[in-house]
Amino acid sequence: MQRVVVIGGGTGGTLAANILASKLRREIDSGLVSVTLLSETRDHIFQPANLDIAFKGADPRKYIRDERSLLSRRVEFLNEGVERVDLGRREVLTASGRSIDYRFLVIATGSKADPELIPGLAEDAYNFHTGPWDAAKIWDALQRFDRGRIVLVIAGVPHKCPPAPTEAMFLLDDYFRKRGIRDRVELTFLTPYPHAYPAKPIADVVEPLLERMGINVNTFFNIESVDPVKKRVHSLEGDEVEYDMLIAIPPHRGSSLAVRSEIGDQEGWIPADKHTMKIPDYDDSYVIGDATNIPISKSGVVAHIQAAIVAHNISSEILGFDGKKRFNGRINCPLEVGAGKALFVAGTYERPPKPMKPTRIKYLMKKSFATIYWHMLTGRLEPLFDLYFR
Amino acid sequence: MMAAQSRRVIDSRGSFCPGPLTDLFKAYREAKNGDLLELWATDPAAKADVQAWAKKTGNIVEEIVEEQGYIRIVVRVAAKGG
Repeated sequence: MQRVVVIGGGTGGTLAANILASKLRREIDSGLVSVTLLSETRDHIFQPANLDIAFKGADPRKYIRDERSLLSRRVEFLNEGVERVDLGRREVLTASGRSIDYRFLVIATGSKADPELIPGLAEDAYNFHTGPWDAAKIWDALQRFDRGRIVLVIAGVPHKCPPAPTEAMFLLDDYFRKRGIRDRVELTFLTPYPHAYPAKPIADVVEPLLERMGINVNTFFNIESVDPVKKRVHSLEGDEVEYDMLIAIPPHRGSSLAVRSEIGDQEGWIPADKHTMKIPDYDDSYVIGDATNIPISKSGVVAHIQAAIVAHNISSEILGFDGKKRFNGRINCPLEVGAGKALFVAGTYERPPKPMKPTRIKYLMKKSFATIYWHMLTGRLEPLFDLYFR
Repeated sequence: MMAAQSRRVIDSRGSFCPGPLTDLFKAYREAKNGDLLELWATDPAAKADVQAWAKKTGNIVEEIVEEQGYIRIVVRVAAKGG
């Protein structure tokens, strides 16, 4: 019996397990192969919706499904965390003390936003990165906000979804315009980057829009702390900015499993070959999605593409086929600019993102993905995505 | 007693989005005044971005070298408070 173990039930882990179950269905049915997915939570969250929950009042319950219901019946689902992995011994030790050996391992443990890492941030900042219910608190607070200064700060890099902070500024502007009180609200964006978007070609598109909307952008702002009493954000270089309501993109960390297992750096990011997604020195262990330390955006689309490539390569190896696939650094992140328009930040390792005009069509593509997402996780749409991502 | 100064290489080759500055900022947060941060990047925007960042924040670009297929930028951390 050759067992493939997948750790993590997010976008990458779920899709990888389902594609493996499909490609290896005969072997699984005849007892030669098994696919096991471990996840400490049963809730699978469609994370891009956190923006809609925070700034448009969408219902969080619409975007949460039971992980088991998203997995092929050929995938064994274990609803428990992992205490440690031993790559040398090909062994996973679960939180309940169970030992599972494997032939192939896929780590898809994601990243975690942690407001506690910046003094004062957890006490006084809202955020939409620690889950849909925290995103809903922003919506509640906005309903009560009638006048004053709203500051949104990027409080750590890297973070999930590079477009999200810029997008949040556009959605805040949209929200207050619709309420007819935009002139009573000052919106300020604090970013450590030189521009309103980290990639310059995209910044060239969004900066004139932000300016037209009267949104302040303070670049090169590296947060040091928040003073919840005086309601001020302090930078490493001694600047300070006052706020009435603070929204933060909290610092992110990789999995504590990586630290416990001594397979990641001190922040929990796991090293990987950026093309094969293999953990260096191990031919049978892969890491995908946010959990890696590779220089690419932490986003669902990256986890999606890497999951498909790794599942293809593992099943090819088990079945004895050639034709390994390699990840080329493809990204494709939607960025909503308000007023029902969006653009896509698209590129590869070799090809930087190009400027792109925001359009209604791209906005509708972004919206439709919220519906397609659940079906995408089955792996059945991969032939279409292969064409789209080419 | 002053802690020893250190030099850290940050290999961001191949990073366009979110970009090499993400890796530089991560290292900057952990660095102290006097430390050297050496950024390797293939993103053509890195040179101007790092220069602008250093100028605005008061850190010092010590060296910019065009290597084979990438650019090497050495920054001396000088602007951190405390």
